[in-house]
Amino acid sequence: MAAADSLPAPGRAPHAPASGRPPGSGQRPAAGQPPAKRALRARRRSRVGMIFLIMTGIAVVMLYPFWYILNNAFRTESQFERQGGHSAVSWSQLFSELPVGRELLNSTLICLASILLILAVSTTAGFAFAKLRYRASGIVFLAVVAALMVPLQSIIIPEYVNLGKLGLINTYLGAILVYVALGTPFATFLMATYYRGISDDLIEAAVMDGLGYERTFLRIALPLSWPAIATVTVLQFIQIWDDLLVGLLFLQNPQQRTITVGLAALSAGRTTSIPVLMAGSFISAVPAIVVYLIFQRYLVRGLTLGMGK
Amino acid sequence: MIVVVALLGIPIGQAVYYSMTNWNGLTAQWIGPSTYSTALSDPVFWRVLENNGLLLLAIPFAIGIPLAIAALLNEHVRGWRFFRSVYFLPTAVSWVVIGMVAVQFFALNGLLNKMLAAVGLGSVQTNLLAGQRTALFALAITFIWSMLGTNTIIFLTGMATLDPTLLEAARVDGLHRRQIFFRVTLPLLKRFVQFSFVITVISAFSALFSLIFVMTNGGPGFGTTTLEFFVYQSAFSLGQFGTGALYGIILFVIMIVVGLVQLRLIRSEDGEGW
Repeated sequence: MAAADSLPAPGRAPHAPASGRPPGSGQRPAAGQPPAKRALRARRRSRVGMIFLIMTGIAVVMLYPFWYILNNAFRTESQFERQGGHSAVSWSQLFSELPVGRELLNSTLICLASILLILAVSTTAGFAFAKLRYRASGIVFLAVVAALMVPLQSIIIPEYVNLGKLGLINTYLGAILVYVALGTPFATFLMATYYRGISDDLIEAAVMDGLGYERTFLRIALPLSWPAIATVTVLQFIQIWDDLLVGLLFLQNPQQRTITVGLAALSAGRTTSIPVLMAGSFISAVPAIVVYLIFQRYLVRGLTLGMGK
Repeated sequence: MIVVVALLGIPIGQAVYYSMTNWNGLTAQWIGPSTYSTALSDPVFWRVLENNGLLLLAIPFAIGIPLAIAALLNEHVRGWRFFRSVYFLPTAVSWVVIGMVAVQFFALNGLLNKMLAAVGLGSVQTNLLAGQRTALFALAITFIWSMLGTNTIIFLTGMATLDPTLLEAARVDGLHRRQIFFRVTLPLLKRFVQFSFVITVISAFSALFSLIFVMTNGGPGFGTTTLEFFVYQSAFSLGQFGTGALYGIILFVIMIVVGLVQLRLIRSEDGEGW
């Protein structure tokens, strides 16, 4: 209650006829209030109750799918048909139909490698865009921003042909390269935005002290930018973990697929029972959700940093 | 320093190169510009474009509903942080998973039809995914649901930047909550609304592949084939790589136009460029 009272209208309660009352009874609803004030308070309370109710309703809508997944993952096909009873049979079936462990490992490996590469490029490039002036840096930066607008579908075919020529289809390296190419522009943009916020004087001073640009970057700028690095990492992790199209095309061998792609392929086969798919959904969703819950605020920051200035 | 620049410039150059290879893909199978007129006279192409256009109808909802939710969250009722996390949760979940649950939700014996039956509308029970138009409708609903969290967070962040004394002043001037929202809050949030508009359009046109793949595979017929899915379908199901690349370029052009319109909007309103 206290939070609801003070936040939307800061300063309102103290400004009210608190002057005549003894100190201490400040913001509490006292018995001796005039009836008009009590009515106002009651109305606000019912308003807050309404909001709470509506928000709970929305929360149910947002959470229902997760409940549905869990509930039906623990059912056999016949239990699913009549929506009663629970069992763990579908889980063992899932593991026999899908190399779950292998695909989870693939997802992890591909995510890690891609993120490391993206970070290596975007931190250095972002620093350069923000702090170094060199010929045509403006144009190159504009090109990076323009690359943000390119939809994956527009380049996926030439990409496929090119990587095919290089023999990189169905290799981790091929998929990783595509993810890196897709993730780098936004990451660079974000890092550059962040490095612009670091004072020029600090960088200048470090360079003057004889650190040179490389060591200034490694020892000063990089440690300062860890919040932006965390943001990039979380955004890219979720993006790559959840991606389907790239994995579908560039990793066609089930042993190399990521868990999301494996799951989609299983579902596209239309032969796997729904509880098994739900069990798979659960397994594939959990890592991304855990990362989301831990690093939520970096995700939010990334979203709004994307607005630029 | 030149070494540093070179080391940094090359990977960027590569990233840019990758983004530009679409032109190579086109010339690799050079037939000439006639491919475009062929494609543009294909009725299926227009059907697909129509689907994209219809999807745009979902965008006011994908923005309006989160705006309302953000306004509620911004009242900071007890537990609002928890609700914020819950609403944002779908952002972490793959479209593949969302799509699979959505299929069950819209199925003939799914929750939607059960709810309809429960409120006495049993007669209108249908499997939305079985009809061309209705499947697109179902897809749009799923899309709106998935975008709720992202857009809500954008607006909530925007509302946090507002000056509380301004709102207080409006209140003192005797404006009702609704008036304050529409006359004070909303105009101040314009930048955030534009941003979420762009994100939503981009998602609608280029992030729904997984959802379509899992929910309808583009069908029934071409009922839910959008341009991005058509690219995939032409190239990898029908083996027409050239046509696929061509549609990819059309999609690219559409995205550029959206981007430019957006940029123009920002400029005209701020009176100056970035």
